[in-house]
Amino acid sequence: MLGYIIRRLLIMVLMILLVSTMIFLLFRTMPGDPTASMVDPSIPREARQALLERYGLHESLWTQYAIFMKDLVRLDFGTSYFYNRPVLRVIQDRLPATLILMFTAMLFAYIIGIFGGAWMAWKRGTKLESLGITFSLIFRSAPTFWVGLLVIMFFAVRLGWFPAQGMRSTGYVGNTFREIFLTTDFLRHLVLPAFTAGLYFLATPTLIMRNSMLEVLSEDYIEMAHAKGLRERRVLYRHAARNALLPVVTAGALFIGAAIGGQVLIEVVYSWPGLGREIVQAVTRSDYPLAQGCFIILSTLVMVMNLIADVLYAFLDPRITY
Amino acid sequence: MSFLDVTDLDITYTVGAGSLKAVDGVSFSLRKGESMGIVGESGCGKTTIAKGLMQLLPKNGAITRGSITLNGRELVGLSKEAVRRLRLKEIAMISQSAMNALNPVYTIGDQLVEGIMAHTSFGNRGAYKRAVEVFEMVGLEEKRMRSFPHQMSGGMKQRAVIAMALSLNPSLIIADEPTTALDVVVQDRILHRIIKIQKEINSSMIFITHDISVVSEICETIVVMYGGKVMEMSPTDTFFRRPFHPYSLGLKNAFPLITEITDELISIPGTPPNLLLELKGCRFNERCPFAQQKCAVELPLFYEPEPGHKVACHFPERVEEFRERSSHRDTWEVVRERLIREYMEKGAVEYA
Ligand SMILES: Nc1ncnc2c1ncn2[C@@H]1O[C@H](COP(=O)(O)OP(=O)(O)OP(=O)(O)O)[C@@H](O)[C@H]1O
Ligand code: SF4
Ligand SMILES: [Mg+2]
Repeated sequence: MLGYIIRRLLIMVLMILLVSTMIFLLFRTMPGDPTASMVDPSIPREARQALLERYGLHESLWTQYAIFMKDLVRLDFGTSYFYNRPVLRVIQDRLPATLILMFTAMLFAYIIGIFGGAWMAWKRGTKLESLGITFSLIFRSAPTFWVGLLVIMFFAVRLGWFPAQGMRSTGYVGNTFREIFLTTDFLRHLVLPAFTAGLYFLATPTLIMRNSMLEVLSEDYIEMAHAKGLRERRVLYRHAARNALLPVVTAGALFIGAAIGGQVLIEVVYSWPGLGREIVQAVTRSDYPLAQGCFIILSTLVMVMNLIADVLYAFLDPRITY
Repeated sequence: MSFLDVTDLDITYTVGAGSLKAVDGVSFSLRKGESMGIVGESGCGKTTIAKGLMQLLPKNGAITRGSITLNGRELVGLSKEAVRRLRLKEIAMISQSAMNALNPVYTIGDQLVEGIMAHTSFGNRGAYKRAVEVFEMVGLEEKRMRSFPHQMSGGMKQRAVIAMALSLNPSLIIADEPTTALDVVVQDRILHRIIKIQKEINSSMIFITHDISVVSEICETIVVMYGGKVMEMSPTDTFFRRPFHPYSLGLKNAFPLITEITDELISIPGTPPNLLLELKGCRFNERCPFAQQKCAVELPLFYEPEPGHKVACHFPERVEEFRERSSHRDTWEVVRERLIREYMEKGAVEYA
């Protein structure tokens, strides 16, 4: 098992280098000159040249790439043009907000999805089941920003239960992780975006759980569990759901990539100061180093989640040994 | 009143818009400690009876008529909770597919202990002790308690399932082809172990198989089913000496006892009737070499050649003749030719 994890980690490092190369090339071939957005076009040529040199943009592509990779290995993503701070610092500030929002939403979606999907399989063929399917599909198909706006309109504007924007009330300044994230003010701000993202995530675990549950329920060991005189709920959750969970875990890992896409929109709608929103801004500002850094961190995140899913799988299914 | 009385039992499956009666007016009784074999071709309703008794029918199946009483208590229409309490403790099933009857993600021990705890006030420790006891009874080592199903051979899994079924000394064991998935040597050993334990704890047993020679070895009574109906029911020794029903005669040809093997094996031509169609008359009439006009329209009632022996055929007086003729291959060949001819004609009509 340990050997497996180490092997996977090595592969992951290779993958990250590969992905970084692709991201590097992607940004160099994109139209638009960063200096145009960075620097007032009316400044003298010499000043402009000096800026280019300062950021290393006058070098050849190869030299730029070599420097880029060398820095990357040292976890140095360069300096953000816009913030004029090390990219890593900016990401460090933004990442926790994104992770917290994403995990809260996933937790919400997976808990409801797993139990709801199992329950829907149990209620197969009833009105309640079709209602459940329709419900989860609506939130998967509806544009996230639109759902987000509706949620804001209802819970924030009409009912006034939760704040609609940002991560903390204006005027509040926190410095440490604790001061920023472990406050009721933060939790109140978290509710609506997490709820919206959760609704968007909901369909995947629910529908996969339902299908996989239907399959499992026709297995002989389920009949056996009934024949043993176990209570229905025990058969459903301990025997059937436990087995049906396996495909959900796999799909969950694959889903993370898609989830990040949805996450970006939600962060924009809720002005959530996370990595997703930062990416959008970095790209519009042609802030190469920051955008590159964000992309690399997000790809790493996806890979890590996949690894976690695989390891989890081995714990859930005794037939799997690595 | 016997220990188990099944009376006029109908079990119906809904399929699409139609329905089929997989068990049709079946009655039998079982004494305490008695073992009864149910035999018949695939699809004749054996498993359906077993699941009916356990109240484990799939969603599209239901008991539509009749009664099942165990120790005088009516089982049809019992509440879910009452049925749940009966399972394993009173009626235990060794299912047809024991190979897949174990949950792959839990250890065998956990699965045994779980069943025991669902019906007793044993704590975890007590249940574990009991599980080890039954494990020993079926010849499995204690360390197997910690194995997952995929770590065990087919024979071991089968024994684990048997151990589970016997863990609470049930008063009725239903064994539905408990050894079909195993090789012959293991089959035999396991079979004898089941019987031995059944005798020890004095449970009654319903043993389902399509191999009638097994029944001759281990059961006191035999029930021959065809198309959802009982054709013949008899004490085993009489049955194997002198079967009465034409279908039994055919079956016996197909599964001769070791002592009676001749060089020619005779099988019954044709296939069981489609239960989705409305059936009148004797279910066996299409394949019966002795069928008359009457057989296709009128359902034969049981006659009793001797007490405890029932046969559903219109012609009790011709039994000797049937017995004689059925041992000849020609008798059945005639049926085969007739079936082929009918099939061609039907085909011709359909194509016309
Ligand atoms: N869930 C179901 N839905 C519809 N029809 C069914 C269902 N289960 C069984 N049947 C039908 O009921 C009849 C009896 O099936 P059953 O499984 O009881 O036969 P069996 O005697 O146990 O056969 P085998 O020897 O193959 O196990 C068959 O015609 C079968 O097609
Ligand atoms: S009733 Fe007729 S068809 Fe049925 S077994 Fe007897 S002779 Fe054959
Ligand atoms: Mg069967």
